[in-house]
Amino acid sequence: MSSEELKQEIRAALDNATLSRTLGTFCKTYPAKREKAYVGVDFKATQEKIKEVKSYAADHVDEMIEKFTKNCTARGGKVFVAHSTDEAMEYIRGIVKDNNIKSIVKSKSMCSEELHFNKVLSDDGVLVQETDLGEFIIALEGNTPVHMVMPALHLNKEEVAELFTDYTKVENAPIISEEVKTARKVMRDRFIHADMGVSGANVAVAETGTLFTMTNEGNGRMVGTLPKRHMYIFGIEKFVNSFSDARWIFKALPRNGTGQRITAYISMYTGATQVVTDKDADTKAAKDFDVIILDDPGRRAILADPDFREIFNCIRCGACLDVCPAFALVGGHVFGSKVYTGGIGTLLTHFLVSEERANDIQNICLQCGRCNEVCGGGLHIPQMIMKLREKDAKEHPDHIKKFALDAVSDRKLFHSMLRIAAAAQGPFTKGTPMIRHLPMFLSGLTEGRSFPSIAEVPFRDIFPTIQQKVENPKGTIALFTGCLLDFVYTDLARDVILDLNSIGYVVDMPMGQACCGCPAANMGDVENAAKEAEINIEGMNAEKYDYVVSACPSCTHQIRQYPTYFEEGTDMRKRADEIANKTFDFCKLFYDLGGCVDAGDDKPVKVTYHDSCHLCRSLRVTEEQRELLKHTNGVEFVEMHDHDQCCGFGGSYSVLYPEISAPILENKINNIKDVAPDVVAVDCPGCMMQIRGGLDARDMDNIQVKHTATIIAEKRGLK
Amino acid sequence: MNKITDELYESFKKNLESVDGSCVRTSKADLGKTLADVLTKAGIKDTTIVETPLFKEAGVVDALKAAGITVYTDHIRLHAETVKGGITENQYGIAELGTMVQGRDNIDERVVATMAERYFGVVKGSTIVPTYDDMFDLLSGLPQIPDFVGFISGPSRTADIECVSTVGVHGPLTLTAIVVDDE
Repeated sequence: MSSEELKQEIRAALDNATLSRTLGTFCKTYPAKREKAYVGVDFKATQEKIKEVKSYAADHVDEMIEKFTKNCTARGGKVFVAHSTDEAMEYIRGIVKDNNIKSIVKSKSMCSEELHFNKVLSDDGVLVQETDLGEFIIALEGNTPVHMVMPALHLNKEEVAELFTDYTKVENAPIISEEVKTARKVMRDRFIHADMGVSGANVAVAETGTLFTMTNEGNGRMVGTLPKRHMYIFGIEKFVNSFSDARWIFKALPRNGTGQRITAYISMYTGATQVVTDKDADTKAAKDFDVIILDDPGRRAILADPDFREIFNCIRCGACLDVCPAFALVGGHVFGSKVYTGGIGTLLTHFLVSEERANDIQNICLQCGRCNEVCGGGLHIPQMIMKLREKDAKEHPDHIKKFALDAVSDRKLFHSMLRIAAAAQGPFTKGTPMIRHLPMFLSGLTEGRSFPSIAEVPFRDIFPTIQQKVENPKGTIALFTGCLLDFVYTDLARDVILDLNSIGYVVDMPMGQACCGCPAANMGDVENAAKEAEINIEGMNAEKYDYVVSACPSCTHQIRQYPTYFEEGTDMRKRADEIANKTFDFCKLFYDLGGCVDAGDDKPVKVTYHDSCHLCRSLRVTEEQRELLKHTNGVEFVEMHDHDQCCGFGGSYSVLYPEISAPILENKINNIKDVAPDVVAVDCPGCMMQIRGGLDARDMDNIQVKHTATIIAEKRGLK
Repeated sequence: MNKITDELYESFKKNLESVDGSCVRTSKADLGKTLADVLTKAGIKDTTIVETPLFKEAGVVDALKAAGITVYTDHIRLHAETVKGGITENQYGIAELGTMVQGRDNIDERVVATMAERYFGVVKGSTIVPTYDDMFDLLSGLPQIPDFVGFISGPSRTADIECVSTVGVHGPLTLTAIVVDDE
C-alpha cells in the first residue's frame, strides 16, 4: 500500500463524526476512570508481577505447553497444538465435519481471526455467529474491529438500528437500550440451538489446565454453558504457570481496559465441564471439550527476537490504544490491521498478520511514550515500534527521506542549505516572523499552524560576539544548541547563556556540533543517527566541560541514546557514555545548580505549562521546571487539562502526517484556551514552534509561548 | 466459619451496588420468606431453583410456592428458556468487589445464573472473603481446582454502542445477592 492510500484512510477516519465523538469522549474520560479503578491497588507492583509471571511462562513455553496439555487432558479436554494457522484451521474443519456441526456461537477470540475462522467455516456452509454485541454489529456491517476492547465504536446508534432492521426485518429504533434487547433476543435463540461454542482465552494455566475468559455481556458464559461441544482457541503467549499467577492479570486487565475494577464475569474452565445433553429428558454428561493451542512460526519469531520478546507480556488490555493521541483520532481501522489495533496491534500485526501492513501503520506512532506509562505488561511499545521502523527503513529505503537525512547528517551541507533557505524564504513570510502558507504540495504543513522563519544569522555566527560576565566562575558548560536554537530560535540560545551566567557558569559553544540525530533516529535511519552521534561526540568534546546543556529535550534524549550506537569496550562507547552522562536539559541543570530562587519583577503574569513528551516521559523531568516558574515573582501558575499530552509535533511527524498532527494540536490549543493564560511555558523548541504556530494561525497571538529559560531571563531582568 | 461482620457485609453490599446489583441480608430461618418477598416485589411469577441442603433446610421452595410463585426444580435447562426468575446458591463471595463465586461444576446452577432474566444468588455470609487476593489464595489452596469457577459481579452489561454503559445483554438484566447469616 502506498503512503497516499494510508493518508486516504486517515482522512476517511477523521471525517467519521461518530468515531471522533465516541473515541474522543472515551479517550478523554479514560485516564480519570482508570485512576479511580486503581484506588487501593498498586498498579506498578501489579505490572511487575505480570511481567514476572508472563516472562516466566515465555521462558518456559515448551514446558507450559506440555504441562497444560497433560493437565487439561487429565480433566477430560482434548488438546491439539497447531504449528501453523493452516494446520489449526484444518484440524478445526475436521472436528466440525466429523461431528456434523451446523451452527457455531463464538465469544471473542482474536486468535480465531488470524485463522480466518468465520470465513472458512461459513464457506463450508456452517452458520458462525459472533455473539459479543460489538463483534455482532461489525459482522453485520462486514467490517473489522476498530478497537481491541470496543470493536464497534465507529458506528452510532442510528447506524446500528439500520443494521439491525436489515437483519431482523423488523423496524429497530435508534435507542441503545432497545438495540441491546434486540441483540439479546436474536442471540438467545442462537445460543440455545448452537452445536458448538468457541471461546478465546485471556489466560491458560499450565499447572492446572485451567482456561480463563473475562466478559461483561455474558456471551462468554453462554458459549461455555449451553452447546454440547466447547472449543477454546488461543496462542502460546497466553500461558502462566500457576492458578495463583493468573490473579495479577485480572487485577490489571479490567482496570486498564475499560476502567472497571472487575468485569461482570470471569469464568474458569478446568477440563470438560458438565452440559445438558437432552433438555427434555434432563440428561447430563461431560461436554466435548477441544483446546487448540496456536504455536505458529509468527509467535516463535517473537520469542526468538530479544528486541520483541516482551510482546509475550502483553495482556491485551488495550490501554495503549486508550491513551494514544493518534489512535484517539483515527481508530483501529487505520491504526491497525483486520485483527489487532493500536500500538501493540502494530507489533502483533508485524509478526502474526501482515508485515506490509505493519510497515505502513508503524508510521502513525508519534513516539510520545504515553502508552508506556499505562501498559499492563510493562512493554516498551514505542521503542519496539521504532525497531520496526528501523527494520523497514533498512529493507525499504525511501529515497527522498534518505536524501534529506543524508543531507542533515552532512553538517556542512545541512548548514549551508539552512543559510540558503533563510535567504530564500522571503516570499512566504511576507515580512512577518511566521510562515503562514506554503505553496502547493507543501500546503498541508501549514494547515492550522504557521511555521517560524529561519534566522538570518545563525547562532553559531552570533556566539563569538557575546560577552559573558561571570566573576569567579564555578565551571564551564558546553551548549548543545540543536538545529532549532542554532537556526531558528537564536534569542532562546542567548537566554540560556544569560541564565547560566547569572548562577556563575561560563558557557561555551563547541562549533563542531551538528544535528543531534533525532530526526534520523525517529525515521528509523540508524546509520545516519550513528553518524551524527559520532560527529557530536567528536565535535562537543564533552571531556573538556563540567556539563553539557541543551534547551531541547529531544536533543537531550537523543544524546543520552548515543551509547547504544557503539560497542561496549570501544573508545567511542566510552566517549558516548561521557557525553550522555554529562548532558542535561536546561531546566533540570539550572535547578540542580541552584538556579531555583525567589526572584522576578513581580509583574503579574498567568503562566500554564506544556510538558514535552521527551522531557516528561523519557527524561522524567516534571517538577523542576514548575518549581522554577512558581518561584518566579509575579508568576501565577495554572495547570491545563492534559498538560502532558503530546502537542502533535513529534519531530518529523508533523511534516509526514499533518492530517493527524493538526487535530492533536487543536486539542492542545483548546486546553490552553480553557485556562486563558498570558504565557504558555514550554521546554522544547519543537513544542514551542508547534503551539506558537497553532495560536498564530488562529489569531490568538495574545497568548505567548515561551521557553522556561526565556521567562527566567526576562523576569529576572537578565536581558 | 465465622459469621459475617456488619462491616464486611456493608462493604459487599456497597461494592455490588456500584456495579448495579442489589443486596439483602437474612437469617437462615427467614431465607424462604426473604426470597419470596424479593421475588414478589420484583413481580416475578415463576422461577427456576437449583436445590441445595441450605435451601431444603430453610424450606425455600415451599415458601416460594406459598407466595404464589411457580417453582421449577428440575428440567432446569428447558425451563430456563421461558421462566423469568432464577435462584441458585453460590459457594463464595468477595466483599471488595461485590462478587459472588460459583465454585463447583453444577450445570443447572450455571444455566440459571446465565440464562435467567432476573437472577437471585444466595451466599452464606461466612463464605464472603474480604479481598480478591483472599479469593485467589483460597482457590489456589484447594486440593483441586473445581471444573468450573465463575466470578459474577453484577448483572451483564455492555458499552459496545457509543460507549454508553447499558445493563442486561446476554446474561441477567438484574442481579440480587441474598446474604445468609450463618447460625
